[in-house]
Amino acid sequence: MFFVGGESNVKDYYDVVVIGGGPGGMSAALYAGRAGLSCLVIEGNSTGGQMNETDIIENYPGFEEIKGPVLGEKMRRHAEKFGAQFHTATVIDADFSGQVKRVFLDDGKVISSEVVIISTGASHRKLNVPGEKELSGKGVSYCATCDGHFFKGKKVALVGGGDTAMTEALYLANLVDEVLVIHRRDKLRATKVLQDRAFEKPNIKFIWNSIVKEIKGSDKVEKVVVENKKTGEITELEVDGIFIAIGVVPNSGIFKGKVHMDSQGYIVTDENMETNVKGVYAAGDVRSKKLRQVVTAVAEGAIAASHAAETYFG
Amino acid sequence: MGLLSEQDVQYLKDLFGKEMKDDVKILIFKSDDKSRCEYCDITVSVFSEVAEIDDRIKLEVYDIDDDEAIANKYDIKGRVPAIVFLTADGTDKGVRYFGIPSGHEFSTVIQNIISFSNGAKPDLSQNSINKISQIDVPTEILVFVTPTCPYCPRAVLLAHEIAKANDNIKAAMVEANEFPEWSMEHGVSAVPHIVVNDETAFIGAYPEDMFVDHVVQHVLG
Repeated sequence: MFFVGGESNVKDYYDVVVIGGGPGGMSAALYAGRAGLSCLVIEGNSTGGQMNETDIIENYPGFEEIKGPVLGEKMRRHAEKFGAQFHTATVIDADFSGQVKRVFLDDGKVISSEVVIISTGASHRKLNVPGEKELSGKGVSYCATCDGHFFKGKKVALVGGGDTAMTEALYLANLVDEVLVIHRRDKLRATKVLQDRAFEKPNIKFIWNSIVKEIKGSDKVEKVVVENKKTGEITELEVDGIFIAIGVVPNSGIFKGKVHMDSQGYIVTDENMETNVKGVYAAGDVRSKKLRQVVTAVAEGAIAASHAAETYFG
Repeated sequence: MGLLSEQDVQYLKDLFGKEMKDDVKILIFKSDDKSRCEYCDITVSVFSEVAEIDDRIKLEVYDIDDDEAIANKYDIKGRVPAIVFLTADGTDKGVRYFGIPSGHEFSTVIQNIISFSNGAKPDLSQNSINKISQIDVPTEILVFVTPTCPYCPRAVLLAHEIAKANDNIKAAMVEANEFPEWSMEHGVSAVPHIVVNDETAFIGAYPEDMFVDHVVQHVLG
């Protein structure tokens, strides 16, 4: 597979700047483009956001089964077809104080726009246990699709019990010898179909009611110390790696104090996806809401861009 | 059927038409020995398809053994497939790939074609360029990647931009799966994994400022 996304020269003004190239951002760009607005999508990594780390997506209507990065590439191409431009960079600051907004990029560029749509998504939540930081990149990983290959024929732990955790467990089970799923409760939170598939895999084993206390190893991960919450029993599991999929935290740090957020740092919007700052919207996983899915992200991106087009360019 | 779809080809035709200026030279070093280079054929094929899209892309394919002198000139050290980017007048900015840049990584190839066609000027902030100019010793940055890593292309591009900013610096993508021993040597088990002058400098995706600081600090102490 070859993803051919390229970049054109970036200008210093666009009608709409979308921060983040996940499904919410790309859908916003598609709708902005079709409304005749100039639009730049700024993405820190490969476009697609968390879809890029999803081996198979099978709950996005119209696609019974599609690889996450492929859906990402399709959405990008679709937005580009209607004029949206993409640029790889990290936004390091933003100024929403005037009618014209400005975003500051790590490559030194400053982009102005009438409307900003924040769709920065969310990142992997950390365990915050001893050894995690020290052994990060030395057997501790947050991305099975990135790093799974390094554990072929080996034994790994996977922490978590949600949809992401089970998707990763199933992906890893096809690569590694054995996956030990460590979950804090006595049942999974993941969607039923994913649970069933995971239970059927002979090389996925479950360690219930347990939390990780420590990750041990001198130069690379050797052991994971696990505590059973019910019995208080402490066990040391010998593994070559540990994958952590215990949920996400919003990528909203640089907007703190600029737009309203909930207590967890998710951005609060009205039903049009507009924040308390006129002309600044939020869409996708970074927004305060219940269900974080590709299908909800794209809906929010569409609502945000349509409302912006009507309200500020009508 | 080609490796690139008809839509990909049309997309690239439009993009190159809009963004390319001068010729770009791409050198590929390969081996016909399958046991030594599983992906050499497909590398040559996909680059040939790209070169067919725009006349300004000049592809030169060399055999790592038969064309030893040229391979030595570009310091390939037998690592195949290897890809070297040059500007129209043959200027080597130290931009390399070892292993096939497939998956997400292929987008960096497209970026480099556009960049080299426009003189291979570094797309970095002035602040970063000033910091990088302090490096006065030969430096090699290796970015170990997997094709399924969405965080890796940005790291590869940053390393390549740093190389473009200073003639003392070479920067290469290394596809970890294709070079298991080389990866083991540096303890690669998560990507992007960045090695500077043969030592691990950092692991993970950093924004430009941090990336540049880590590289400069690693070299100059």
